[in-house]
Amino acid sequence: MDIHARGLRFHVQQLGPEDGPVLVFAHGLVMDNLSSFYYTLAAPLAKQGVRTVLFDLRGHGLSARPPTGYSPQDSALDLLAILDELDIQQPVYVLGNSYGGIVAMHTALKAAHRVAGVVVVEAACSGAPGELWVEDIVNTLSVAALGLEFDRTQDQLKALGQRKVAKLAGNANALLNGTSLIDDLVGGSLLSEADLKQIACPVLGVFGGESELIDAATHLAAHVPDCTTHVVPGLGHTVLREATDELLATILAWLR
Amino acid sequence: MSDIDVLDVVVRMIEEVVGADVLLDMTVTPDTTFSDDLGLESIEFVALADKLRERYGDRVDLVAFLGDMDIDEIMAMTVGQLVDHIESHQPAVSS
Repeated sequence: MDIHARGLRFHVQQLGPEDGPVLVFAHGLVMDNLSSFYYTLAAPLAKQGVRTVLFDLRGHGLSARPPTGYSPQDSALDLLAILDELDIQQPVYVLGNSYGGIVAMHTALKAAHRVAGVVVVEAACSGAPGELWVEDIVNTLSVAALGLEFDRTQDQLKALGQRKVAKLAGNANALLNGTSLIDDLVGGSLLSEADLKQIACPVLGVFGGESELIDAATHLAAHVPDCTTHVVPGLGHTVLREATDELLATILAWLR
Repeated sequence: MSDIDVLDVVVRMIEEVVGADVLLDMTVTPDTTFSDDLGLESIEFVALADKLRERYGDRVDLVAFLGDMDIDEIMAMTVGQLVDHIESHQPAVSS
């Protein structure tokens, strides 16, 4: 379904009973969208009685792509506005994967009374691990932006009949070259250590043991007052997709 | 309800999701695959599933059907497999 919030159209999906505890998902950057949760955690959680709410971040998936407003703080406000439109006033759990974890933590910081708990999957939200991540992602996206602009990747792929890949490249090009997303990431998207200390709700951090972000797990545990971490051995950044069952079991145990 | 009916509905919904121009040069048959033949993105399949849920209701229980597969298995499915699932979960037709 489409939800109109903060002047924008958002693509929202809900699975699970209306009267269950609410869990909202926030996905990762650029090539990601709500489908990464739809096909992994949402249905099994719904089966366990959780009301799951999935939305495409602005500029992603099937949501509108405005030129500006791509900071995680903005996305946290988008998330809260979508909850308002769905008339969900009870405190919710927010689960963010990768960049979505930063959105989830900003939501808890902005609206402590509306967030019952946060699950951060493979995200570096603050401190040195966060700064390294931002530097890395901004470099990667900037190179991709130039490549997409000058190689006319999309046209070439279209000519080859590769509709799906052409479409993904077209969306990435529009997002990276047509919006403020990269600039918004550079300018203060992280939380400070003082912010982490203010997080009032329980936080669960799940990381891959071989991930480049593994230092973020210790950083999170050291600064968030009520924090549990779980490390999946042998995995990198792809915990959601490659350790879905372990992640699900960890979340359910933590929720209980 | 015959095969043609559900297949027609599914094809019309695919058209709504991907745009009619994509289907101009092809005929969608039960053997058409979502990923390789139609080039459907995973988010577009979500939109398709949403439309099917609106049309056929929870009785078809698409969520449980899809929940048993991972994303690669879902996208490798043929249109016919999806149609078969819907038909086998439809209530008896009393038209």
